[in-house]
Amino acid sequence: MDFVLEIVQYFVNLGPAVMLPIVIFIVALCLGQSFGKSVKSGISIGIGFVGIGLVIGLMLNNLAPAAKAMSQNFGISMSLIDIGWPGSSPMTWASRIALVAIPVAIVVNIIMLLLKLTRVVNIDIWNIWHFAFTGAIVDIATGSYTLGIAAVAVHAAFAYKIGDWFAPVTEEYFGLEGIAMPHGTTGWFAPISVFVDGILDKIPFIRDIDINPKHLKNRFGLLFDPAIMGGIMGVIIGILAGYDVQKILSLGIQMAAVIVLMPVVVKYIMGGLIPVSEVARTKLQKKFKDSKFYIGLDCALLLGDPVVVTASLLFIPITILIAAIVPGNQILPFGDLPTIGFFIAMAVGVHKGNLFRTLITGSIVMFMTIWISNQMINFQTVLAANAGQLTNAADKVASLDQGGSPVTYIITQILNMTNVTGFAVIGGFYLLCVICTVIWSKKQYKALSNK
Amino acid sequence: MKKIIVACGGAVATSTVAADAIRELCAREGIAAEVVQTRIIEIENSLDGVDLVVTTMKITPDFDVPYVNGMPFLTGINKEATEKKILSYIKD
Repeated sequence: MDFVLEIVQYFVNLGPAVMLPIVIFIVALCLGQSFGKSVKSGISIGIGFVGIGLVIGLMLNNLAPAAKAMSQNFGISMSLIDIGWPGSSPMTWASRIALVAIPVAIVVNIIMLLLKLTRVVNIDIWNIWHFAFTGAIVDIATGSYTLGIAAVAVHAAFAYKIGDWFAPVTEEYFGLEGIAMPHGTTGWFAPISVFVDGILDKIPFIRDIDINPKHLKNRFGLLFDPAIMGGIMGVIIGILAGYDVQKILSLGIQMAAVIVLMPVVVKYIMGGLIPVSEVARTKLQKKFKDSKFYIGLDCALLLGDPVVVTASLLFIPITILIAAIVPGNQILPFGDLPTIGFFIAMAVGVHKGNLFRTLITGSIVMFMTIWISNQMINFQTVLAANAGQLTNAADKVASLDQGGSPVTYIITQILNMTNVTGFAVIGGFYLLCVICTVIWSKKQYKALSNK
Repeated sequence: MKKIIVACGGAVATSTVAADAIRELCAREGIAAEVVQTRIIEIENSLDGVDLVVTTMKITPDFDVPYVNGMPFLTGINKEATEKKILSYIKD
């Protein structure tokens, strides 16, 4: 293990913008891609890292001071900007866990398939970063690479089970037959929606409330455009920070730039991973092509549903409001806002498109997420520093996705207990939700086979 | 020059796979095309001059531009039929 670790550490020390291109180039060649394509994949991933460094720099240098000034003016504590998954995923890919996480997650999947513990054949290589994030945080918290890898395996196994449990919803509500979502974000909160559904079904009157709107999007569509949303947020924060007009307008443009440019640069990282995911997909599908299996895909596929779109729109202001009331919260939601739908998509399916119930589940989920991501600030800052994304030693970073995931939190706390009450409350509640889900899921499968 | 929008949830993961496949398809067929990735929520504000919209998820399109579901690029199932459908919209 030490020997492996030394090799991995040497590569990591090259810095992600150099290390990952080399690794991806070699891996792509080994997987049988042409020389030219392999070089291009490697360089593409390097471009992604340089790009995300620039965008995060823009954010830390301009938005963070404004958030700080705003917090001081109003005596609130939201002075850290949520970098969101577009910020977190590159840092994770740059960690010393990530390279090993892909094969580990695939091997765990194959073992579970062979032992008939899952029916999900996961071909969504990109989202292995969620499991790798857990591994990287455990690695940082405990200092143990082995425990980090073990955490990747545990999180992956759990995500595949989530894929199984919710496949009936994916099929029935979203109409995606033969597809499951073993996904880090949309996965973890789904059990909470099952719990909420069970409770609400028992309350008279409330159980009959069903709001199922589809046209809200058209009325507010323009506000929903990330560029416009970023600009408006920047202007509001600038005003609250007490800036003069010139600085307010600059902040608006900078915030719009950050939110629009983030996915633009991160997609180069995904582009570099394409050769790996192509080969993994064809090989896995050849081996497990029976109709008994579900193809595991990105939950981005759920984000086109009209109720999900409406709920995503509503949760932009709701999340900011929740952030203001979570005790001791230091994080200003930002990077995850344009894709807040990842947090609630599966809940919409579980609640059968009922917006009222989705709002309840989503509020619990966002409260939990924000509280947990506050607990993760120090770990995530180390992760960012290791990835070379912090130029100023005093800077701190946080993210709702994946820093706010209870799966990451629970695994980290088990291995490195720092907050017994927090662990007991989050762990106990989440376990309860998962138990409800297992029972509920059996019923869903039964109903599905009766049809 | 044809302009194609490829949209998914976050304009990063699945749309990159589909966009990559469509760029290769256009190169193979000798079609000059600009392939732009967006988030699904941005489609309606980005339709100017667009010849085709491809999404990696199922949507009910409420716009007039031709639309193709690009999920086969992710699963590999029915990929050829989807490619043919795309070509039928962008080939002159």
